[in-house]
Amino acid sequence: MIAEAGHYALVLALGLALIQSTVPMLGARWHDAALMNVARSTALAQLLFALASFAALVTLHVTSDFSVVNVFENSHSLKPLIYKITGVWGNHEGSMLLWVSILALFGGLVAAFGNNLPLSLRAHVLAVQAWIASAFYLFILITSNPFLRIANPPIEGRDLNPVLQDIGLAVHPPMLYLGYVGFSISFSFAVAALIEGRIDAAWARWVRPWTLVAWIFLTLGIAMGSYWAYYELGWGGWWFWDPVENASLMPWLAGTALLHSAVVMEKRNALKVWTILLAILTFSLSLLGTFLVRSGVLTSVHAFATDPTRGVFILLILCTFIGGSLTLYAWRASALKQGGLFAPISREGALVLNNLFLTTACATVFIGTLYPLALEVLTGDKISVGAPFFNLTFAPLFVPLMIAVPFGPLLAWKRGDLLGAAQRLMAAGIAALIAFAVLWAWTRGGSALAPLAIGLAVFVIAGALCDLAERTGLFRAPVATAVRRARGLPRSTWGTAFAHAGVGVALIGIVCETTWNSEYIGSMKAGDVAKIAGYEVELDSLAQRQGPNFREMVAQFTVSLDGRRLSEMTPSKRNYPARGSSTTEAALLTRGVSQLYISLGDTADGTIAVRIYHKPLVLLIWFGPVLMAFGGMLSLSDRRLRVGAPKPARAPRGLQPAE
Amino acid sequence: MTLWFVFALMTAAAVFAVLLPLGRGPRPQSDGSEAAVYKDQLAEIDRDVAASLIGPSEAEAARVEIGRRLLAAADHQRDPPMASNIFLRRSVAIVALVGLPIAAIALYLPLGSPRLGDFPLAERTRVPDATQPLDNLVAQVEAHLEKNPTDGRGWNVLAPVLARLGRYDDAVRAYHNSITYNGDSAARRADLGEALTGAAGGVVTAEAKAEFERAVALNADEVKARYFLGLAAEQDGDTTQAASMWRAMLATAPPDAPWRPLVQAALARIEGPGAPALPDATVAAAKDMNETDRNAMIHGMVDRLASRLKQNGDDVEGWLRLVRAYMVMGDRDKAKSALTDARQAVANDAERLRQLNEGLKNLGLDG
Amino acid sequence: MTRKQRRLTMIGGSLTVLALAVALVLNAMRDSIVFFSTPGMVAEKHILPGKRFRLGGLVENGSLVRGDNLAVSFKVSDGNATLPVAYKGILPDLFREGQGVVAEGALDPSGVFRADTVLAKHDENYMPRDLADALKKQGHWKDDYGAKTDDNAKQAKQGVSQ
Repeated sequence: MIAEAGHYALVLALGLALIQSTVPMLGARWHDAALMNVARSTALAQLLFALASFAALVTLHVTSDFSVVNVFENSHSLKPLIYKITGVWGNHEGSMLLWVSILALFGGLVAAFGNNLPLSLRAHVLAVQAWIASAFYLFILITSNPFLRIANPPIEGRDLNPVLQDIGLAVHPPMLYLGYVGFSISFSFAVAALIEGRIDAAWARWVRPWTLVAWIFLTLGIAMGSYWAYYELGWGGWWFWDPVENASLMPWLAGTALLHSAVVMEKRNALKVWTILLAILTFSLSLLGTFLVRSGVLTSVHAFATDPTRGVFILLILCTFIGGSLTLYAWRASALKQGGLFAPISREGALVLNNLFLTTACATVFIGTLYPLALEVLTGDKISVGAPFFNLTFAPLFVPLMIAVPFGPLLAWKRGDLLGAAQRLMAAGIAALIAFAVLWAWTRGGSALAPLAIGLAVFVIAGALCDLAERTGLFRAPVATAVRRARGLPRSTWGTAFAHAGVGVALIGIVCETTWNSEYIGSMKAGDVAKIAGYEVELDSLAQRQGPNFREMVAQFTVSLDGRRLSEMTPSKRNYPARGSSTTEAALLTRGVSQLYISLGDTADGTIAVRIYHKPLVLLIWFGPVLMAFGGMLSLSDRRLRVGAPKPARAPRGLQPAE
Repeated sequence: MTLWFVFALMTAAAVFAVLLPLGRGPRPQSDGSEAAVYKDQLAEIDRDVAASLIGPSEAEAARVEIGRRLLAAADHQRDPPMASNIFLRRSVAIVALVGLPIAAIALYLPLGSPRLGDFPLAERTRVPDATQPLDNLVAQVEAHLEKNPTDGRGWNVLAPVLARLGRYDDAVRAYHNSITYNGDSAARRADLGEALTGAAGGVVTAEAKAEFERAVALNADEVKARYFLGLAAEQDGDTTQAASMWRAMLATAPPDAPWRPLVQAALARIEGPGAPALPDATVAAAKDMNETDRNAMIHGMVDRLASRLKQNGDDVEGWLRLVRAYMVMGDRDKAKSALTDARQAVANDAERLRQLNEGLKNLGLDG
Repeated sequence: MTRKQRRLTMIGGSLTVLALAVALVLNAMRDSIVFFSTPGMVAEKHILPGKRFRLGGLVENGSLVRGDNLAVSFKVSDGNATLPVAYKGILPDLFREGQGVVAEGALDPSGVFRADTVLAKHDENYMPRDLADALKKQGHWKDDYGAKTDDNAKQAKQGVSQ
């Protein structure tokens, strides 16, 4: 009954989404408040049914009900409970159900906390949201239904893949989805504004926090996915410019641009038309990401061709929404009134510059990801566009952006003083120069590129600190005054500083890891010592061990530095005989923010192939994004963001991510 | 019955969600007033001036800009008078009351399986299902081996059962493990080769052949391996080699060996003059017949296949052939019913079900 | 500045950045794009030694030789032609004889492909797209590769033994 109830709930959610996508539009057309209010109650009910459906699928997985094809194919009664649950979205059908559930969640949040939105705007936004939802409910029910049954259920499920039983893999897809789908809200707002032909002042007040929420999740999701690849794949790599990764990076870049242009729009009512376009593009890129990952067109054109229903369906959704919204944009955008004036050198100008570079960088990633596909379709030539392409295009575009980052917050609105800003950034510049000089001397005149990049990163971090010091009057006023002013600073200012510093931190990590990463690959036997980056790594012993459902070859290493014993590391290679598969469990030793990384290869008569990396400051790569996300959260908690829309009736404060 | 009651409740809730706002009269709107936003922007300019984030003259210009918008907004807020469109509201109410339940049921019925209850594993293991004792047993042994993968005896027991169930890939793995933990033996190698052959749909692959050769190297009298090596030769097109291998087997075989008839039949197949026609030969023969005869022949073949499958439903390839045949003959209904039979016949066996579904996908008769 | 001037500045700036991006992309396209070949295509096209490309195919059964200090050599075949490959390093978990592989590197003058990377993905369903297509074209392909995990090994093996 649970399975069928879940299935029926999904059907009802589709029915409600269809009503929600039409009735409020009619209501807005005829100025009927009751009809417009239908949007709200149906959005909430739709959320209820979508969640019920998802909960039903989770229950089925937990109770190992193999009469459901989805459970049978993707679960196994011997899985630990946590992986039974995460297995729900480890497969195509379940992940799509999660996708629409999150979509319904965001729609429900708008309905629940959108009291302060103009009625017709809310009706339009929820209707657009329901169009997207209807399309995806249909997609799930017709091509990827997770509730299909087997009449005579088998006694055991089929999947117990050890590689997929990993907590990092389990958590990052929902994070990414929260990000991807979160951008649907800004999309719906943009389309609603185009339909109405005018942009309310409340518009930007609403769009920015939603974009911020989505952006925070996407940032964390990408960082988490990258860390998972780093420790689980045994290669020590953390970013591969793989199309699947690019699919999540593109919405992130566009979303970051949107975040910044929404600031201009919110504060100065300028850049309206551009912000709307960005909102549409960001969600389009999210849809594109869903298409690339879900249609199988990336892993194998062949998989796409043998089962084209899914791919073609998503492609249709993609074309309808992107094409439709862009057509609407072309038709209505000119009707939107121009906003405030500003000089090229001003806070607004700096944000435009930021947008310019971010979108261009996004475009290069787009080209690098889709060009091989297009070329293959057109000429049949197969090429691979790998890391070198992106390093040559993406990196140079980020350099000017990074140089500009510290200037932005120091420029005044409308007309800024570049010279003044530069003077105030003097300290940051000096810090950057010192960092560069010291590093260059330390590497004894090696390539100047890496020290330069680090200098740039230091400039960004110090620039963020300068901004704070400037605002609080630190070093100029007594400490007590500075502290008082620091308290008085709006949280969004702190958020900006943290997020910008996060970019610099991540850059330091990236540069250090790629430049001064040392590697030892060789075969070792017990008693052998490998020397790497000053560490001595000795292989003590090799032992076979029996795990709960695997046998593993465990290598025990002792790590010492200058003859002093530091720690032990025990990487292993697991073999799951029942599955006929094996995994490599790398061992990590964290020293500060640097790491030693050992993974094992094949064994042959007493020796074992070993790969040891020393990765200096590698953890900064992920601390940076965490810092950025933290900055985003600070900014989100800024009370001023709530001011624009007057006190919401009754809604509890803590539950207002949107305002 | 409970299920339908639950469905009814859910539908009622959904309909209620649509009707609720329709029934309410116009409420005083706590509309987000744009004026508030603009006033806040004005206040913010003052703050920015204080923090010297905007120059005084620019601040003045910004105030003017915002002031202009504030006035425009005040104009705007007066313009949309709220109407209530009774006709539209009634239509929507009717759509919600009638359309929603009908659409939901119409969509659900072809997709769902309302008659199937839940089968959580915990309940099923408590009351062992009498219809699938073997599956149950296999699952238990597999679960045991999942935890104790070095139990050689277990693999030994499991492997042949898996092979008989047609789960050749798993059987191959099980034989591999059996060899690893029980030691090498001619019989195990031969069994492994047989499983590999099964996995390849009856083709003795190079890998399978290597296993048979290893088996013969371990024990020159390993019957199964010798038979399959002959089969490999036959499949390579070398019938004389195959024949001589099998003849050698028969020559040294004890007269009461149980496998004698099998080898004799194989031998007869490749060299006897009255060898039963191969499928290819049948087709060739059919070319020369006239339309009616050919149809009769085809129908006869199809019927034979159908009755064979009725008795033994494990042959997935057979089912697929049958379905395909019906479709070629243009008899879609029969194809559909054959499909249903096939699904029932293999429903207990996951691997076959999957093979069946895979095959069906290629036939374009899915669902 | 007038509104017009400001607009021109903006447009000018955007165009500069765009031009920069286009130049970067074109430059990178020229230098860093790697073509994909199978051993058969290598034989046909006479790829020059030293030119980098990606080689895809199936690792021939019995061809893997492990040398000293992690040097390995194996042969990659696409059914029509085979090409010897030399590599130094640790092979990925999923590297097996009879399985598909993609290696990146260049030919040396003696006609041996010197690989510096051997690709494997974390997903055992994963089959590099180029390889899947190439194999399919040559008929070494059974239908649902990539769709179902368990069959992959089997089918790749069949591909070789046919």
